Amino acid sequence: MRKGFGKTVWTVLFLALCLGGLSGVAAAAEQPIVIGAPLATAFLYGWDAERGIKLAVEEINAAGGVNVGGKKRPFAVEVIDTRDLEPGVPVSEALLGVEKLILEKKADFIVGGPVRSEAALAAMDLLSKYKKVSILTTGVLTPVYHKKVEGNYDKYKYCFRITSHVGVMANEFIAFLEEIKKGYGFNKVYIMVQDVEHARKGGEVMKKMLTDRGWDVADMKIYPTGTTDFSVGLRDAAQEKRNLLFLWMDMPESSILLKQWTTMKLKALPMGFVSAAEQPGFWKATEGEGEYLIVNLVNGGNAPATITPWTMKFAKAYEKRWGLEPEGYGTSSSYMAVYTLKEAIEKAGSIDSDAVITALENVNLMGVYGKISFDKKSHQVIPSLDPAEGAVTSIVQWQKGKRVQVFPPKTAEGKTLLPPWMK
Amino acid sequence: MEILLFGIINSVTLSLTALGFTLVYSISRLPNFAHGALYVTSGYIVWLCVNTLGLNYLLGIVVGIVATAIIGALMYRLIILRIRGMQISEIIATYAIGLAIIEGLRWGGLRGSTFTLPSFLAGSIEIGGIAVDNQRLFVLGSGVAVFAALGLFVKFTKTGLALKAIAQDERAAMMLGIDSDRKALVSFALGSGLSAFAAVLILPLGSIVVETGYNVLIYSIAVSIIGGLGSWGGAIVASFLIGFAQILTEVFLSTQYQMVISLLAIIVTLLLKPSGIFGKQKELDDRV
Repeated sequence: MRKGFGKTVWTVLFLALCLGGLSGVAAAAEQPIVIGAPLATAFLYGWDAERGIKLAVEEINAAGGVNVGGKKRPFAVEVIDTRDLEPGVPVSEALLGVEKLILEKKADFIVGGPVRSEAALAAMDLLSKYKKVSILTTGVLTPVYHKKVEGNYDKYKYCFRITSHVGVMANEFIAFLEEIKKGYGFNKVYIMVQDVEHARKGGEVMKKMLTDRGWDVADMKIYPTGTTDFSVGLRDAAQEKRNLLFLWMDMPESSILLKQWTTMKLKALPMGFVSAAEQPGFWKATEGEGEYLIVNLVNGGNAPATITPWTMKFAKAYEKRWGLEPEGYGTSSSYMAVYTLKEAIEKAGSIDSDAVITALENVNLMGVYGKISFDKKSHQVIPSLDPAEGAVTSIVQWQKGKRVQVFPPKTAEGKTLLPPWMK
Repeated sequence: MEILLFGIINSVTLSLTALGFTLVYSISRLPNFAHGALYVTSGYIVWLCVNTLGLNYLLGIVVGIVATAIIGALMYRLIILRIRGMQISEIIATYAIGLAIIEGLRWGGLRGSTFTLPSFLAGSIEIGGIAVDNQRLFVLGSGVAVFAALGLFVKFTKTGLALKAIAQDERAAMMLGIDSDRKALVSFALGSGLSAFAAVLILPLGSIVVETGYNVLIYSIAVSIIGGLGSWGGAIVASFLIGFAQILTEVFLSTQYQMVISLLAIIVTLLLKPSGIFGKQKELDDRV
């Protein structure tokens, strides 16, 4: 009995050891690379990024995963709602979210946000502390971000941004407006912006740049978030015979502005950054009264267009996965961030931060919105109006219910149209 | 002309949004901080009826208004009645309910700018050379009709007279056999229904977003404080004061300060006449 019992115990112990060893091997082989995504998921600029990231991760995993030094590892995504776009939510909430991703969820990389500039700037110190490579893909339009990297490379080298910023966007819009000037002779601009920091600054930048180029620009009109009547401003624009209405608004009430513009048949072509118009549902939401609005989608691929061979592939895959066309401005950039990260990890042969940083600095990938490469000092994606040279924007006009790409010229699929009352 | 025209339209719009809040306070002496949340909820219910259930728009509106009134009544019956008389608790409770509803809607999918209700009247007409969309004129006409209907209700119906009696003097009304708790329930239902009515008129101008709930609440509080808490006539007068102040600020000062005006007006009113233009609270305190 004793001998039999002893044999049984040793057999069980031996089997347990074998199983433990096997499962350890199995776990190591399948151990995912964790992408932490701190995003304001209740807002467009949060959920657009979340969907872009998840689509890319699913595609990469379906194709076998990431080759890390000869071993295939899948990506896993951990999303935390930072709520940083909600009014009154302090920056510290977003930082707690980032820290939770790193310490609790064991994120190997941070992709996506935080979305608000103040939160993203504050998070740079956290990323430096934990030596986590981050690729910013949405929100954060401030040029301060990449200037901070450039100003203190050793500390902030972990931070990359694959989406555009206000400086580039303003120049792109100026180039587009100069085209409009040539084509239609328009030169009188009326600027209407939302009373938030990035919109006011953006409006001021546009006003200065346009004035320097000989445009006639009225004093900027600033509207508090929640304004439901824009009639006074629109009437002023009509009385001053302005022919371009430049808008910079995140608030949903911008659809009221467009409806009033249509009602008044204002002879000023509306254009700018209008988050409500970045969604495919905008057409139905304005009952078609958003027609002719020109909006900058920041990064190409956020509306279907043929920018590179990958763009429509991405747009169709997105629509199949999520049931609607790409929207917002963080979608294509978030998608490309994951693929760019994959490329960098495979080149580095490891997920070691310093190795991945070097690989990212040398990345050269033809993506959804053009050539993806980063400035080696500032880690900002290199922009261009030519997709063969750099990351391109997408300026679209709503025409017959569709977002038609009208700029840059190398990727335009239609001409800028005027409403009938302006012809 | 545009100051007069858009001043009147904006003023009536403001008074419509604040009327339900004022009514509830006048009867139950309770500031309903869930007022803005109910406003947004009613819009969302109508949207669901039309877009998800495929109901006719008018039927959807009826469902939205009735459902919101029921929510208001349930709020009173299940929560507020239990803490009746504990003023701080009442305020905290309604505020918490409002927050829970708004964040619940956001969590439940009310995000982005694409939730909209169709306009009742498309197109526009010119008044004095100024193009005004028909929907805004519809809001103006409906607002006037609601005020008139409410006036007739409190003057010629038994329930209306009872509500008016409680608004004037609750104790005296109770002594005459009017059940104040029951009437408070009716006021909550009616106030919520009025906020829903305002929502279905005004929301077609833009889109249904949860943040509107906070704006509606702020405006309602501003109108009620300036007009005098509990005074229906005061609420209408205050709406016109704020509505015209906003337009004049836009035209002569800057568009940037139009929202600040209503908040500034609260401070000025509290400093100069804390009971509001037609309020009677301080006079009663003085008498006691």
